[in-house]
Amino acid sequence: MMEPWTIGAESTIYRLEQWGRMVLLKHRPQKPYLLKAIDEFLRTSRTSRECKMLTVARNLGVPTPMVYWVDMHRHYIAMEYIQGKQLKQLVAELAADRLQKITCKFGKLIGLLHRGGVVHGDPTTSNVIVNQKGDIWLVDFGLAEMNATVEMKGVDLHLMKRAFETTHWDHEEIMWSAALDGYRTIHSDETENVFSRVEEIRERGRYH
Amino acid sequence: MSIICLGIEGTAHSFGAGIASSDGNVLSNIWDMFSPDEGGIHPREASRHHSDVGPSVIRKAIEVASIDVTDIDLVAFSRGPGLGPCLRTTATIARALSLRLNIPLIGVNHCVAHIEIGCLESGFKDPVTVYVSGGNTQIIAYAGKRYRTFGETLDIAIGNMLDTFGRDVGMRFPAGPRIEREARNASNYHQLPYSVKGMDLSYSGLLTAAKRLVSEGVPMADACFSVQETAFGMLAEIAERAIAHTRKKELLLTGGVARNDRLTDILLGVAKRHNAVFHRVTPSLAGDQGAMIAWTGILQHEAGDRLNIADSIVLPKWRTDEQDIVWRKS
Repeated sequence: MMEPWTIGAESTIYRLEQWGRMVLLKHRPQKPYLLKAIDEFLRTSRTSRECKMLTVARNLGVPTPMVYWVDMHRHYIAMEYIQGKQLKQLVAELAADRLQKITCKFGKLIGLLHRGGVVHGDPTTSNVIVNQKGDIWLVDFGLAEMNATVEMKGVDLHLMKRAFETTHWDHEEIMWSAALDGYRTIHSDETENVFSRVEEIRERGRYH
Repeated sequence: MSIICLGIEGTAHSFGAGIASSDGNVLSNIWDMFSPDEGGIHPREASRHHSDVGPSVIRKAIEVASIDVTDIDLVAFSRGPGLGPCLRTTATIARALSLRLNIPLIGVNHCVAHIEIGCLESGFKDPVTVYVSGGNTQIIAYAGKRYRTFGETLDIAIGNMLDTFGRDVGMRFPAGPRIEREARNASNYHQLPYSVKGMDLSYSGLLTAAKRLVSEGVPMADACFSVQETAFGMLAEIAERAIAHTRKKELLLTGGVARNDRLTDILLGVAKRHNAVFHRVTPSLAGDQGAMIAWTGILQHEAGDRLNIADSIVLPKWRTDEQDIVWRKS
């Protein structure tokens, strides 16, 4: 077995060379601590969903890695390897204007998804890949959904905001406002409704 | 000379008094849980319970600790989050003691106290904490002077979900232990809504569907089993997302629902996959109790935190990440 490149929450990622190029192999391994029926359902549905949504997203104008092949029985997806770093790793070292620009693009891409009726499902800075030139890609579409309602879009932005809050607390404000600026550039009748829903959602889960 | 703190906890259904010393010992930990004959917890009835049992619980805590009331150096109380009437009753008792004994008053965040007592017991320095109880479902980790909520429920808490389901099928409050026993005799799993959104989750759809299972004649054991496996599976996933995201190497399980053995097994598996150390807080320190308030009160006091009685208004919606963790160095 190859050495994992990284271990994620629900997957193990490998890097390999195939057909003369670098390929990223995403495997959703069995989790012996979960009930088998649930584990099997999640591995299958997430693998299938991710393949489909990577393509759906790209059709909406959102850069995502290309899918090369998929093995639905063993829960593998082989996809394009993007040369770059996770936004999470870059936040601390980027100059303020550059960070603002990149986060603005991140917000814009989420806006494009939302306008197309899609939510990402896990829009953290771990799932944004940035290259040298500052181009960005969205990855990890295992939790993405179509036919998104205002509520689902509100939750999506709420998750993004919380990622800034928990992981980039010292840049939280500039990142959130840059992301909203980017989101706003994608015109949709729903935008203001989604924004006010974010506030509502934030209050909801708390101890009342 | 070590400092002795009396901690009073009364955020919801339990009233507790615990005594801890600054060398890290819990000298006593007494509580009394309000359990109505039927139905759930009414905040007003719970607060009446607290004022009825408060004095005797505190007296007993002092007695068990084998100290004199004049040995107490500080009084800490659960200032929030929680049910307003319960918090006010508890705060009133704490203020009275502070004035009567002429000792400092410390306001403690209930959620933060759960983490700190867990760290004291486990020796953990920087865990990802899974805090699960009747009113809370949170994945918390320390970052930048605060305990930050990385994930939480978008609607109802896990304990609340279990209790509401239990009440609907005729179980007494709290229903968690009974559901756990029933689940052991199950033979079939029935699929229930599994709803994870990033590091958040939602239990309301699961609750509705679980009630329907029972009304459709699915055996109680199977329904309980299906509820547990689905609800805990979701929790494991968000905990795992938090560990993968933060790369922390300690996983702490606390809160009343930490008593569940199946949940413990699942989270142990999660920790193993990520080479993290796992600890479940012992039942007597996992639920709502005064010792955690006393211990956190000591930490805050040592870091110079003080609360004037005039400013000691309770904070029913006090979020975990609104408390500056002044006693932690890094």
